[in-house]
Amino acid sequence: MRDKLLKILAQLHSRYPLRVLAAVFILTACFGYLATKLQQNMRWADLLPENHPSTVQFNKVVEEFTSATNIVVMVEGEEEKIKRFADEAVPLFKDLIDPSDGKKYIKRIDYRAETGFIKKHGLMLVKEEDMEDMKGLFMDPNLLPLVTNINDSLEKVYIAKEGSMSTREKEDNAFIFLDGIENLVRQIQRSVSGERLSEDDVRKTADKILFGEDYMLSYGKDALIILAVPNFTMMDMDKVTYSVDSMQEVIDGMLPRYEGVKAGLTGMVAVQHDENVSIEKSLGYTTVIALAAVLAMLIIAFRMWMAPLYGLLTLIVGVIWAVGLVTVTLGSLNMMSAMMAVILIGLGIDFSIHIISVFTENRSLGKGIEESLSVTFRNTGKGIITGALTTAAAFFAVTIARTRGMKEMGIVLGGGVIMVLLATFLLLPALLVLREKKRDRISAAKGEKRKTADISFRSLGVAGHWLSRHYIKSLAGVIVISAVLVYAASKITFDHNYLNLEPKGLKSVELEDTIIDKFDLSIDYGMVLADSPEESRKTASLLKEKPLIASVEDISLYLPSKEEQERRLPHIRQIRKALAASRLQPAVDRENAVRFIDELDRLRMNVMEMQDMAYLGGQDKVDAKCTKITGDPENPQSPDIIGGLMEYMEKNAETSRERLSSFQDVFSPYFRESAMSMSSEDILTLEDLPDSILDRYANRDRNLFLVTAYPAMNIWKDKTVMERFSETLESISGKATGMSIIMKYLIDIMGEDGRKALALTILLVFIILLADFGKPLYAVIAMIPLLLGALWMVGLMKLAGMQFTVMNVLGLPLIIGIGIDDGVHIVHRWMAEGRGAVRQVYASTGKAILLTSLTTMLAFGSLVFSIYRGFASLGGAMFLGVAACFLTSVSVLAPIIGLIDAKRVKKGETAGE
Amino acid sequence: MGGIRKNIIAAVLVAGGFISAWPADTGERPMAAQDIVEKMNSVINVDSSEGRMSMTIITSSGEERTFIYDSYSKNRGEKNLIRYIEPSRARGQAILMLNNADDIWAYFPRTGRVRKLATHAKRQKMEGSDFSYEDMGSGDAFLDDYTSRLLGEEEKEGYMCHKLELERKQGSDAGYSRLVIWVIKENYFPVAIQYYDLDDSRLLLKELIQYDIRMIENIPTGMKIVMYNRTDDTKTVMEILKVDYDAELGDELFTERGLLK
Repeated sequence: MRDKLLKILAQLHSRYPLRVLAAVFILTACFGYLATKLQQNMRWADLLPENHPSTVQFNKVVEEFTSATNIVVMVEGEEEKIKRFADEAVPLFKDLIDPSDGKKYIKRIDYRAETGFIKKHGLMLVKEEDMEDMKGLFMDPNLLPLVTNINDSLEKVYIAKEGSMSTREKEDNAFIFLDGIENLVRQIQRSVSGERLSEDDVRKTADKILFGEDYMLSYGKDALIILAVPNFTMMDMDKVTYSVDSMQEVIDGMLPRYEGVKAGLTGMVAVQHDENVSIEKSLGYTTVIALAAVLAMLIIAFRMWMAPLYGLLTLIVGVIWAVGLVTVTLGSLNMMSAMMAVILIGLGIDFSIHIISVFTENRSLGKGIEESLSVTFRNTGKGIITGALTTAAAFFAVTIARTRGMKEMGIVLGGGVIMVLLATFLLLPALLVLREKKRDRISAAKGEKRKTADISFRSLGVAGHWLSRHYIKSLAGVIVISAVLVYAASKITFDHNYLNLEPKGLKSVELEDTIIDKFDLSIDYGMVLADSPEESRKTASLLKEKPLIASVEDISLYLPSKEEQERRLPHIRQIRKALAASRLQPAVDRENAVRFIDELDRLRMNVMEMQDMAYLGGQDKVDAKCTKITGDPENPQSPDIIGGLMEYMEKNAETSRERLSSFQDVFSPYFRESAMSMSSEDILTLEDLPDSILDRYANRDRNLFLVTAYPAMNIWKDKTVMERFSETLESISGKATGMSIIMKYLIDIMGEDGRKALALTILLVFIILLADFGKPLYAVIAMIPLLLGALWMVGLMKLAGMQFTVMNVLGLPLIIGIGIDDGVHIVHRWMAEGRGAVRQVYASTGKAILLTSLTTMLAFGSLVFSIYRGFASLGGAMFLGVAACFLTSVSVLAPIIGLIDAKRVKKGETAGE
Repeated sequence: MGGIRKNIIAAVLVAGGFISAWPADTGERPMAAQDIVEKMNSVINVDSSEGRMSMTIITSSGEERTFIYDSYSKNRGEKNLIRYIEPSRARGQAILMLNNADDIWAYFPRTGRVRKLATHAKRQKMEGSDFSYEDMGSGDAFLDDYTSRLLGEEEKEGYMCHKLELERKQGSDAGYSRLVIWVIKENYFPVAIQYYDLDDSRLLLKELIQYDIRMIENIPTGMKIVMYNRTDDTKTVMEILKVDYDAELGDELFTERGLLK
């Protein structure tokens, strides 16, 4: 049946090549159109099973919480410049419109604190124990009592509170408090030294004491963050692309006017955008590298131009068909299946190599076109089909995987191999026939005889012959090498850090690192969903007790429980009462001016002591902030702003007193008014929170709440830490997700998938080989180099300094499907040639498997140049794997053949029997 | 503030923590866990000591910082004083801890002030260093707060050791759910201690290893002590530069006046 079909096909090509080409052209146009509709989903969560709880929760967060997918604008430079930059850029970002539907890309932008809400309810958000220490600050708005109260508070915290700066949160609080003090001292200094301060400047000074910095500035005040909340989710890839491009245009347009300012985009949306662009670009150029390398190698090997070009054209057509088929079957590619083109180039060219090789060989023997093609189909067509089906079966075996990543890759590559196989049988022969007809015509016209050339690899034949004759030595050598490589393989480790697979050099990813550095923010966090503010509060509270969790953010930061609020009320009332009773002093009298200097001295000492303790405790942020206020202890020339103010006031007592009075005249009423305002006695409910806060912690319908937990350490340090962090989250709630959980499951499930797929692939390959060879012995012999090659592959990976990753672990089932071809072809040829023909087997078929191995290695090797390191890790592993399979096909198979031949000589049998 | 306390605690404990030579185990009969803990407790608790040591911490921005200080301890660690020598920025700063570190005072030479810093600091977990007072089992904490179980014998850091598990007693104020301690059979010196989370007894929080163990004045002493924090991947390294277990220390040293000297 198969022979008959191949014969008909050969006739069709020989007689009607143009019609066949026309049919292929139409098919290519159809598949090509479909290929343009293919989507790409490059998220790790897309690799897990669709119904996996972690995937479900992750997608829920992405879909429900627009704030989970912010676009972050990072601006660096001098404080005043970056604030102006942000003020100008924000309205421009807000006005960006999607031309496709006329809607704005950006729903809301956060870059300054939500002062409206804090100004009204600020005190209700202060914990009761902190209120005890801090309430003195709010009692009297006049400058002398204010500074006295600040001193009391600083000393009180030191004395009474354990671990006042023992956590990140508390260190941050200390930093913010010191920042307010620094600003107050600086503004008083400006004022008393005669600089005219606007009323707005003085009010801002009071605001900073009460509410802190309102821009989202870094600790060093040299970087600022703008958070743009999009009107779309990450699922909408077109909007992701266009919104990021539009915002980048705005930034690029502004930057020339802000000298010394740098700005860029990051955050989940921008990183996704950059990754998509880089992966597409990366796959584009690696595909070109693969095609060029394969073509160059074929031209050198076949010593001709046109036939390799036809092979390449066939391959491109086959890949287009394969991509079109994916559009119909799956509709999209994931992070793993995106490599399909490069893999298919490496595998698919093998079919063309075999056909070109045998066809040109027969033509050079003087056979006619139709006869040559028939012989080619008969002699090598069967092997190609068996090889392709084995490879496709291996890929389809991977579809038993639970992970979507592997399952889809199996479908894509299995279908892809078959499409390339079809393209090879439908297009290449027609092209070769047309070429040969033309060459015949030219030769006939010139009356020349066609040149022939021996293009077999004699040296490979000699090597195979030597190995088979000295099979004992050869096998002993193989055993030694195998022992070394198996030992190395046993030592290979697994790199579970997905960040090591992400693209390197992407601006958005680099900016993430800058944010970590300047804002001390971790990008790796866990997310837990809650159905109510109460559940969110409870979850956050439980998480905070866990040692692996550094900090937790949720709606309870802005919505304390009713009980908590009621406990805070008496303190708030006390503050209100004291404020109402406080008398605004119109001027600072002489006695108070002297006392004010004394309090400044006390403040200076408190800050110095805080600085000394921060130095001993290694709290660098606090130490640096204190240094800005009281100077560097190791550099007497460094400015001490409190000391400077005291000195000026002592030298210019009268003018300083008058100017201090003017400052107080604006400052104190505003401070009292603001403090009164923020001490609202209203019990807060969900409805009181503004959208800017709600959007951060609640979904659109306000019935789901997001709790974000930041780890206390680098969770990618080792697998145990990552697992413990994930387990901590999951022990608190069944609705936890995040990259650590996704990777934990992905590694587990992929490991299980890999083992199952590997076993099934080996079984399927054996069954196909058994059907092909008809005898179990030959099937086993053909498989030995493959299985040994797979072990060598892992050993070589270890020796090359590689680790297994969630991407390259896929190489194991893949190598079974890909590496089997070498053994199959050698055993087929050995069976056909008979005993004693090892030299010929390796000179001819050895050449073919060397070429097919090299082309496959070149294709996978091209992935090493990919900016996406996940692809590079698989490319590197497969490069070594294919090389290992070729080496074992020569070094193991030749001695085994030699051994069997030798035994049969003794028994008087012939090979192949 | 926190870091100081931990530095002090660790320094004092190391300087004053290891005293009294206990007769070597003859290995004739298997010992009960409680006996081993008692002997260990005697080895690590010293009447008084005086020493100089260095401590290297990792700061919040990830930099290494090394301090050198003199340390004095009396009444089996109940009274402690440390005085910083290096780096120059810390020179002269001194910390006094009384009542097993429950009451802490500090002297700041830049301002000339002595201030009481904190109370109830025993279980304090601080930044700067990874030690806390109770980590080293000062006083009789290992005996009073935990029940012990002998897990067997095991080689650790090159020494043949008793491997013990100490489980927190119900109602005790110990900060850990359990400890695993490797006690050198020859001299009852704890060469390694693992500390497990109070809520999650499987979660290893910290691990202390003592290196370069020498006999000083007939007392086993770990000249280099490293506390590995297994949750945030930091470590604190302490080295004893010199130690005298025979020091005569007057009570006046452990007063506000002693701080100022």
